[in-house]
Amino acid sequence: MLEDELLKWKFKRGSRDALARIYEKYLDSMLTLAAGLLNDASAAQDVVHDVFVSFAKSAPAFRLGGSLSGYLATSVVNRVRDRQRRRCRQAACITKRIEPDREPASPDDAVIFTEQAARLSQVMAELPDEQREVVLLRLTADMKFRDIAKLQQVSINTVQGRYRYGLDHLRSMLNGEVEE
Amino acid sequence: MKPKRKVEKAIRGKLRFIAGPTFRDRLLTNVMNAREESNEMRPALHEPGIRRTFMRSPVAKLTSIAAVIAVAALSIVFWGRLSTPAYAIEQTVEALQNVRFLHIIGRDEAGEINDERWIEIGEDGFQVRYRQQNPPSVIEEHPGAPSMVIEDGESTAVYRQEKKAVIIYDRSEKQYQWVGELGKAFGNLLQEGKILEENSEYQGRPAHKVWWPYMSAECYVDPETKLPMAIGNRGLSYEEPPAGTWEITIPDGFAVVDKRPGAASTTAPDWLIAEENTGETKGESFRQGVEALIRSDYAEAAKQLEQALGCDSWATFWLGSAYYELGQYDLAAKYFTEMLNTMLKAFGGDVLPYCNYALGLAQARAGNLEAATANFEACLPAMIQTLRIPSGGKMFEYADNPKIRCGKHKPSNQEMVVKMINRLRIITGRNFGYDPNGAAEDNEAAIAAWEQWFQTDGQIRFTPDAELLSVPVSSDEEPANANN
Repeated sequence: MLEDELLKWKFKRGSRDALARIYEKYLDSMLTLAAGLLNDASAAQDVVHDVFVSFAKSAPAFRLGGSLSGYLATSVVNRVRDRQRRRCRQAACITKRIEPDREPASPDDAVIFTEQAARLSQVMAELPDEQREVVLLRLTADMKFRDIAKLQQVSINTVQGRYRYGLDHLRSMLNGEVEE
Repeated sequence: MKPKRKVEKAIRGKLRFIAGPTFRDRLLTNVMNAREESNEMRPALHEPGIRRTFMRSPVAKLTSIAAVIAVAALSIVFWGRLSTPAYAIEQTVEALQNVRFLHIIGRDEAGEINDERWIEIGEDGFQVRYRQQNPPSVIEEHPGAPSMVIEDGESTAVYRQEKKAVIIYDRSEKQYQWVGELGKAFGNLLQEGKILEENSEYQGRPAHKVWWPYMSAECYVDPETKLPMAIGNRGLSYEEPPAGTWEITIPDGFAVVDKRPGAASTTAPDWLIAEENTGETKGESFRQGVEALIRSDYAEAAKQLEQALGCDSWATFWLGSAYYELGQYDLAAKYFTEMLNTMLKAFGGDVLPYCNYALGLAQARAGNLEAATANFEACLPAMIQTLRIPSGGKMFEYADNPKIRCGKHKPSNQEMVVKMINRLRIITGRNFGYDPNGAAEDNEAAIAAWEQWFQTDGQIRFTPDAELLSVPVSSDEEPANANN
């Protein structure tokens, strides 16, 4: 927490090291969040790319009272939503099940994930968007319910309800697969 | 484990997508390029150009070379003296990041320890374990205060020497703290801290003097380690505590009252039940007293706060405030004095600015101008400082407005400055102008005039009918004049 306060402060003052540290610290969790939201590792790469590039450009005007992780996670969610809206328009909202990219062209260039991660991501894709967002923001970006409520523009009770229902759905869909 | 917990654990632990090395490097390059591009948009600092001179005569060349060598030699000498790197608060916050243990020591005027605490800080900046030892003088002063408190991370043990008992609570039920959330305090230092004086000193040792708003205190930073060596009147060090510091042990002859969930049922002794009941009753009176004060029902506030005395130090102060508003200035002065003495005894030092100010006002109204002047002189430096560092006025606001305690009001910087100017006008009779809606440079001139006056004159002149500024409206209340 304190490290993040310091990173924010240094980043605003143009520190390269601070930006590099923020990147290292949050790249994978933001990638996981994006991949979970999109169920598409390659699209997640694009989203995360845009989020970090835009974040880097924001340094001179950067002002943030809340958490760095929450800020980046919110940016990921917003970009994912934009992307989904664009896709809906382009493809006339044809719903397509997207499989995680299991065999990338070059292993070095890939997003690395396990079979279990792919399975969880698939199951996650079955959740309604709002529930998926809440569960992922809470569990991969450690966002507070209060902040998620602000992002989704609903009450905190609604968010907690979505979280509860989301976990119930996941549990029934996984049907004991995650017992251990 | 509950099924939902298993799902949570699975997502936290197994849903993990990791960037491959090429993607990681490529994105990092793009991110850094984006940063450079955004930096290029800002005006760059220019190095002054060095003008080359060509000299034709060899004598001129030699003279010039000699001069250059002399200048270079002089530069090296002066550079050595002048190039002490400037201190930045960021360095202290960075140093605090690596702190795991805090050892806090307060001493009375005779140099005896009157407050000792150990704190272990977790990576998240929160307190993990805690130990506080109160000397007999504190317990005499505050009957019912624990002689010692130990938090071992799971349980909180409260030692009551005079009752020969240790009461053990679950940590979630009862916690003791030094200054609230330490992580928040460190963050506040970074965001709002101000260097008051570089290369100053603290008790004969070199130190940088810094204003730390969260602590409402001046902090002295060790120029070597960059760590605070003192905050207010408390000395700080960072060594690992002796073995057993966090261990809850039961002294011989002490009874144990275990109040943790699942503990074997023990009957709490009568004195503890009575104390808890009294504590609850007093707590309720305090709450009602504060509410009455907020709605300006001073008679009710005085009645309730009289009954609440002892449960919270602010009951004493706000009882003084209620009597002040009721025009009973001697009683007001009595309770402000009580608060002042208690706090100075507990936390050391000679001055508690907001309390000296309130006491001074009550004494002045009661006609005791000599005592009032002494109190106003004591708080004057802090009042002047607030004009530049508004957060320095936070405790004045807290004392004046119990809504802050209830979380119903958060004074803005401008409000704190305006109210402080009003207070200054009341105790000095001076008016150097200031317009909350005016131009910054005019207000800067007013503040500079106050500082100049403080340096060259600083005479107190109680002026109860001084012209006061309108306080900027905040979201929770109507415009009002700051006055006590």
